[in-house]
Amino acid sequence: MRVFRRLAAQWGERYRKMSIQMVLSLSFTAVAAVGMLLMSVSMIWRFSSANEQLVAENSRRVLAQANLNLDSYLRRMMRISDTVYYRSIKNMDLAEDDLTGDLSLLYEENRDDLVSLAVFDGEGALVSAVPLTALKQDAETVQSDWFQDASQSMENLHFSTPHVQNIFDDPDYPYRWVVSLSRHVQLTRDGVTQGGVLLVDMSFNGIEQVCRDVTLGSGGYLYLIDGGGELIYHPRQQLIYAGLLEENNRAAAEYRDGSHRETFQGQSRQVTVKTVGYTGWKLVGVAPAESASPQLPLFGLTLLLFSIFLMAFLNFLISARISDPILRLERSIRELDKGLAGVRIEEGGCYEVQRLSHAVASMVSTMRHLMDDIVRQEGQKRRGELEVLQSQINPHFLYNTLDSVIWMTESGQKQEAIQMVTSLARLFRISLSKGKSVIPLSDELEHARHYMTIQQMRFKNKFTAEITAKPGTEGLYTLKLIIQPLLENAIYHGCASAEDDGVIRVTAYREGEDLLIDVEDNGLGMRPELAASLLEEDRPEVGTKGSGIGVRNVHQRVGLTFGEGYGLTIFSEPDEGTLVRIRLPALSRKEADRRWQGEEL
Amino acid sequence: MKQGKSNVVQAAILAVLGLAAVLSLALPQLLRGRQEPQLLSLSVMLRDTDSSGWTVARQGMEQAADELGAELRFLTLTTANDSAQQASLLLREIEDGAAALVAVPADPAALSAALDPWLVVCPTVTLESSMEGAAGVVSPDNALLGERLAEALLEDWDSGEVLLLDTAGRCAGVADRLAAAESVLEGAGVPVCRREALPEEDPKWVLAFEPPATQGAAERKEAEGRTFALYGVGASTGVTAQLERGNIAAIAAWSEYAAGYLAVRQAVSAVRGTEGTLGPLPFSVLREEDIYGPENQKLLFPIMSSSSR
Repeated sequence: MRVFRRLAAQWGERYRKMSIQMVLSLSFTAVAAVGMLLMSVSMIWRFSSANEQLVAENSRRVLAQANLNLDSYLRRMMRISDTVYYRSIKNMDLAEDDLTGDLSLLYEENRDDLVSLAVFDGEGALVSAVPLTALKQDAETVQSDWFQDASQSMENLHFSTPHVQNIFDDPDYPYRWVVSLSRHVQLTRDGVTQGGVLLVDMSFNGIEQVCRDVTLGSGGYLYLIDGGGELIYHPRQQLIYAGLLEENNRAAAEYRDGSHRETFQGQSRQVTVKTVGYTGWKLVGVAPAESASPQLPLFGLTLLLFSIFLMAFLNFLISARISDPILRLERSIRELDKGLAGVRIEEGGCYEVQRLSHAVASMVSTMRHLMDDIVRQEGQKRRGELEVLQSQINPHFLYNTLDSVIWMTESGQKQEAIQMVTSLARLFRISLSKGKSVIPLSDELEHARHYMTIQQMRFKNKFTAEITAKPGTEGLYTLKLIIQPLLENAIYHGCASAEDDGVIRVTAYREGEDLLIDVEDNGLGMRPELAASLLEEDRPEVGTKGSGIGVRNVHQRVGLTFGEGYGLTIFSEPDEGTLVRIRLPALSRKEADRRWQGEEL
Repeated sequence: MKQGKSNVVQAAILAVLGLAAVLSLALPQLLRGRQEPQLLSLSVMLRDTDSSGWTVARQGMEQAADELGAELRFLTLTTANDSAQQASLLLREIEDGAAALVAVPADPAALSAALDPWLVVCPTVTLESSMEGAAGVVSPDNALLGERLAEALLEDWDSGEVLLLDTAGRCAGVADRLAAAESVLEGAGVPVCRREALPEEDPKWVLAFEPPATQGAAERKEAEGRTFALYGVGASTGVTAQLERGNIAAIAAWSEYAAGYLAVRQAVSAVRGTEGTLGPLPFSVLREEDIYGPENQKLLFPIMSSSSR
């Protein structure tokens, strides 16, 4: 049971890995093969059975004919015996008449079939015989089986089994094989009736000729036995007599007339028996069971294999025709899965597959529309986020600047206030930049300069600012308002609290395909761990100075705009100062315009 | 990828099925070819000048040849027991393409030496005497036969010398019979002497060890009215008739039909490489009164099919 389950599981596993065409073709072929196998077995069985009956019928017919011939032959011998008895012996007084003349006449008429005709008296003495007229000196007629049979059963005629005639004295010693027909006769001598025996020795050749040419299909033969199973004729009789061959004649003697199946010496044979009338002899026809149709199983196998081959071929074609549209559909879906654009969904095959293909094509179309919508919505959402971040900067900066202007105005520093407001105006003009988020690097640096002007005024030149654009950065574009928050941090957290004069350097330079902007101060600095944590997204926004909102804001904007790999890196050591490096892609005007158009979408 | 694999599997299945169908179509032809072996040409060489004494054996040979798909060529010598002629004739038969030989060697040792290089390619089966390098020998146990014949004589022997007819020449099988009989008789204290032919003076007991010698001695006994008791070998009609007429006291007989049949069967099997080992032929020692016993009739008087006469 466990084995069966394991096999079932293995088959299930294989089934899952098979293509639909394979499943269809194999299952169709298997079912067809099993069906054809059953049909072939049934047909072969029926054909064999019919053939066996045919062979049996043929054997019966052949045996009937052989029986007729043998019966005719034996009746002729019996008629000879009757003739001798009823026409000669019965009408003769042996004391006066000579029987030899009549016997000679009959013998001459039938010499091809007869070896001798002889009449013996009840004591076994020879009365008359042809063609030989003398008995051997030691001839034991009375002890002979034929004499005993005739004497004991007077009403019947008796046929012996084949034997060598040995009672007549023949100078040639021919040793002829004969079958003896004997009967009891009434001999009249001097008017006195006494018993005697009439012996008709038939040539064995006569019986042999009747049986010899009878054939029973390939390998079949016929033999003749007496009632006790003793061989009378067999086509290989001498081999049996020599002990080189065996025959199942004793068993055949027990068979009733008809066909029988027997196994002899490992060979299955069909045996047909026919009893020869009067004598009790039996004609036995033997046909090897295999000989009935030796090529039949092979022919059946050929038919079966060819049918399975043809069926498998057709199944493979049909299954390919059925499964091809499904396979093409599957291939299209796989290509879609890989992200290939413009994949066409074929709508072929039978009705169900067409419907399925159509549904898939419709689904793909809907999906594409949905994806376009999602892309558009994502773009809008990102722009919204950027705007939100940007809007977080403006109020913060405005608050600080206006605070400074107020402070200057209150302290009567009108000229400085005017300069600050002028710088503020310039700063806002750059901030607006017609709503563009990507602006020329020069504008961004200009923006930084104005901002630093404002802050230097606020902090009474407590620090100096150096803003430099190195060669190679000309014409490059950058995200706007990314330097100012860093400057703000450098001022408030780096230089404002420092005792010495601060120096803030802004340096823009190109590194390969990237634009780097370093904002460096020589202020208080911080621990590297703290510097690293400033950019972490999950850092709590406490909203106090030093929380790094501005820095993280710039970092997130750069990241959102240009993707992973771009953003800020902070290098800081306590009392050493801080370097914040912005890494951006080196955008040309063209790329900046394309980006701007993408945002507009 | 999967589709490609499926196509390969399907092509393989179709190829296997197609191949099996073609093979099953071709198989009957192959089997028929195997079942119908080529007709073999076999040469049968006797050591006599005529084959009349081998009629029954020839019947057996022809039966075997008919059953096993062979054709026979019977050869006799111009001089009986001429070993050199026998060897030259057999070599000629081998050169003429005989597939196998059946021989009654006049001199087994000389014949073996003459045929030695050819015995491998042309299997030779001997009758009567064994031969070195032969594919088999078909004969009764010659020594045992000689012993039994001598014992039959001893049953009747009362006195007098026993003449052993030494007609064997270089024929080892016959010589074995003679030697064994001589040994038994000498062991029983019976005086023996060897002669190549019957002497003029009448011996009381004569033992012959081959059919022609037996029949010849019996015929001379009958013709010359001699009175010696003859014990011989053979199952031919002539020998049997002499036994029945009382000219032979007892004979050692075996089925010559079986001998001929087995010799050809063994030769054919040797050519086809399926030969088995041959045992000695069974034999019987028969007296006059035994001739017409049912089994002895079958032994002594083979049924000759009318079709083959």
